[in-house]
Amino acid sequence: MTHTGPTSERTFALPDLGEGLVEATVLEWLVQPGERVERNQPLVELETAKSAVEIPSPHTGVVARLHAEEGRVVAVGEPLATFAVEAGAGIVGTVPTEEKPTRRVRLRPPAE
Amino acid sequence: MDQTLLDATGEPALRYTVGGAEPSREPPVLLVHGFGSDFELNWARAGWVGALRNSGRRLVGVDLPGHGGSPRPHDPERYTPKALAALLARVLDAVGAPEADVVGYSMGSRLSWQLAVDFPGRVRRAVLGGFGPVDAFEDTDLEGLERGADGGRFGAVFAAAAALPGADTAALAACARGQASQVYSPSPAPDGVPLLFVAGERDGIAEGVESLAAALPAAEVLRLPRRDHRNAVSAQAFKSAATEFLARGRGLSG
Repeated sequence: MTHTGPTSERTFALPDLGEGLVEATVLEWLVQPGERVERNQPLVELETAKSAVEIPSPHTGVVARLHAEEGRVVAVGEPLATFAVEAGAGIVGTVPTEEKPTRRVRLRPPAE
Repeated sequence: MDQTLLDATGEPALRYTVGGAEPSREPPVLLVHGFGSDFELNWARAGWVGALRNSGRRLVGVDLPGHGGSPRPHDPERYTPKALAALLARVLDAVGAPEADVVGYSMGSRLSWQLAVDFPGRVRRAVLGGFGPVDAFEDTDLEGLERGADGGRFGAVFAAAAALPGADTAALAACARGQASQVYSPSPAPDGVPLLFVAGERDGIAEGVESLAAALPAAEVLRLPRRDHRNAVSAQAFKSAATEFLARGRGLSG
């Protein structure tokens, strides 16, 4: 695996999980720092007030850092993991336009 | 794709969805959720759709009556294990599956057992998650459910379900009463159906599952470290054990 393009870091924050949920507990990380991941590969298991959920990776790249250890409570909008993403890696033919993280994570006020 | 199963009078009885891998010669995997949950919450969000797709399995997921997108009758008779198992058999008819592998969780495991007992030949293998032989309703005040009066083993499960947005408390109470009206018995057991029991090691609802499995001719048990009744369902070890167990196909041995 060689890639010559530049990489950029992208931090994935806990997304809005719906139903007015404002936080989740990290049950188990399914990747480790330094590991290469594909977009949609299972990333982490979280437990909310409703259920256990498996969150897929939003990026293809290398896991740079995990921001919350297992057992920790993370609020919606707080960082979960940072990825090193290859800019312009053309493995799958078309390069999907990355959404800005701020568009992906819809913050919801706790009062709702 | 979402589908609706109709009852004998043409009224909607149950919502189900078909997905996973493309149709193959393997029977589909029927996923049956637990009390107060639905297909989306119990299975899809917990990562089971992807896990089954990756293992090449077609899936059929139901929303049981009183749950998710299905109708919510208030008559307990509609929620007895036998009545719901009969509905599940009709779902298999509707998707053209003479037999299926079944994965249940909690009440869904109770129903999967009932399906296998009442409809011999329809269940090839079954994975029963979050389930044990103890009567979950033995210390439950069934008449006081709507008032929040129950403090027994089932009380916390009911309270959590009733607190979810969109929950129909009367339908959930009817479901609990219907389920409680036919107390679980390990006998008769499904004939010739290999069973895998999976539960979090901290799952009190699954108490006694080891002795239940030991008394059956073809049953295995997997306990998941550090998991409880609520968070065991997303565990990777659960998914991989289930898909590996179901991939063994026909036959009682390994």
